[in-house]
Amino acid sequence: MTLQQPALDRAAPTGIGWQRHAIVLGRIGFAALLVLAWKIGADAAGPLYLADPIKVGQRIAADLASGALIRHAYVTLRLAAIGFAIGCTAGVALPFLLRRLPRLTAAIEPYIMASVGIPKYALVPLFILWFGIDDAPKLWLVGLLVFYVVFIAVFAGIRSVDRRLIDMARVVGASEAAISREVIWNSLMPFFFAALKIALPRAVSAAIIGEFLVGNEGLGYMIESARQNFDTTGVFAGIVAATTLVLVVNAMLTALDRRINAWRPADRDTQV
Amino acid sequence: MATAEPLLEIRALCKRFPARAGREHPPWVIRDLTFSVAEREFLTIVGPSGAGKSTLLNMLAQIETASGGEVRFQSQPIALDDPKALSPGLACRIGYVTQEDNLLPWRTMLQNVLFPLAVQGRLTPETRARAETLIRTVGLAGFEHHYPHELSGGMRKRAALIRTLVYDPPVILMDEPFGALDAQTRTQLQQDLHQLWIGGRKTIVFVTHDIAEAIALGDRTLVLSPPPAHVAGEHVIDIPHPRDIRAIMTHPAFAGLYERIRAQVH
Repeated sequence: MTLQQPALDRAAPTGIGWQRHAIVLGRIGFAALLVLAWKIGADAAGPLYLADPIKVGQRIAADLASGALIRHAYVTLRLAAIGFAIGCTAGVALPFLLRRLPRLTAAIEPYIMASVGIPKYALVPLFILWFGIDDAPKLWLVGLLVFYVVFIAVFAGIRSVDRRLIDMARVVGASEAAISREVIWNSLMPFFFAALKIALPRAVSAAIIGEFLVGNEGLGYMIESARQNFDTTGVFAGIVAATTLVLVVNAMLTALDRRINAWRPADRDTQV
Repeated sequence: MATAEPLLEIRALCKRFPARAGREHPPWVIRDLTFSVAEREFLTIVGPSGAGKSTLLNMLAQIETASGGEVRFQSQPIALDDPKALSPGLACRIGYVTQEDNLLPWRTMLQNVLFPLAVQGRLTPETRARAETLIRTVGLAGFEHHYPHELSGGMRKRAALIRTLVYDPPVILMDEPFGALDAQTRTQLQQDLHQLWIGGRKTIVFVTHDIAEAIALGDRTLVLSPPPAHVAGEHVIDIPHPRDIRAIMTHPAFAGLYERIRAQVH
């Protein structure tokens, strides 16, 4: 028998096993309760206000079978992904650039912080005016929302990097580029992932809201056109599909976070 | 030329930190500090806490500016006053083992040790083998793939020490590297360092507040005054090498040196 190093010993102590099962059971039970409450509420309020969960399930199954749901979800996901990529790239690149230009940073910082306060959704009419009614105004909306979340987190993250680690890297001969890549980028990771956890769902929401307003495809269009036809079941089916989309994106992000930030001791202790 | 120029010459070095808005100018930390370090010398520096020992090493490592004075390295004056002109570690010739281990928490112990070689573009099978030898020498074999938070304090210190040794800088500055360790680990690491120095004969400037440590390791010991720091005393440690650090206190010269140095440390 070999003994593990105590520091690496992550096996749960006895007694945790059944507790974990109890948590999973509790979650399933809670979900069942929510659906039951939904069903009772739907029966009481009538189909125009609250759609019947069974009918919503049937509608989703039918839309899946016809391929309409997949097509709309793909349009929304594509819009969210491209807008996210643009906003995220700019949100990471700009703080790294500003790090090298401390005087410029000091001069423009108040303006950047003030622009955070602009409600981005209120700019959509302007975006339509400027960029037309194709993907462009929606991409601007998604990109801007993602940009601000990522920019502020990365900007604050760069300032909080341990100076002593940077000094150490300089003394052993690391170039400024190597310091950015190794010390600053890795120190940022917790900030960056905290930002992504907010920015990714927000990108999907912004894409859906953009589709409410412009265009004729995507989950947002699907929900809005159902509402205009007094098809409450269709609205609910769209909401369920959008929520599922966000949950899937979040699950992928969490998995990535665990992989990349495995070195962080806190993460290991707080995982259930 | 039998007696070469000193490797490192410090003349009239001064330091005070910049004033914060609305406050009085802070007092001098270091004032008119003058000493030199010979090649292959093990110089220990003792002084009361707050005497600017770490600040001195930060200036020599070129990660902090000086407020006045001159430093020559291999007879060349080095820039001291402009933060942009500083050259930290002077092109990898001055290594610095800081008080904190400053290991990168996202790198494993081995990756941390190899970090200087990686950024210097010197990662070859030979340098890797050297790193592995050093890891074995300080008793870290088997912990290569542990993250810093999975290592004990003593192990982290050893990893930080060999991270500097691995790229072989001719000068190494050490700032109380064994300060926060228990007595046994401390003695072991002192013995290891002494052995490494005997074997490689580097130039070491070692700062400590522990007089016994300064005597055990040093060829020569400088005593710093309370701030503003200047040299209050200089003592040649006339104990032959190699030394047995564990038994250093029983050496006939030890007690006298200890008393003389203690009388100067306030």
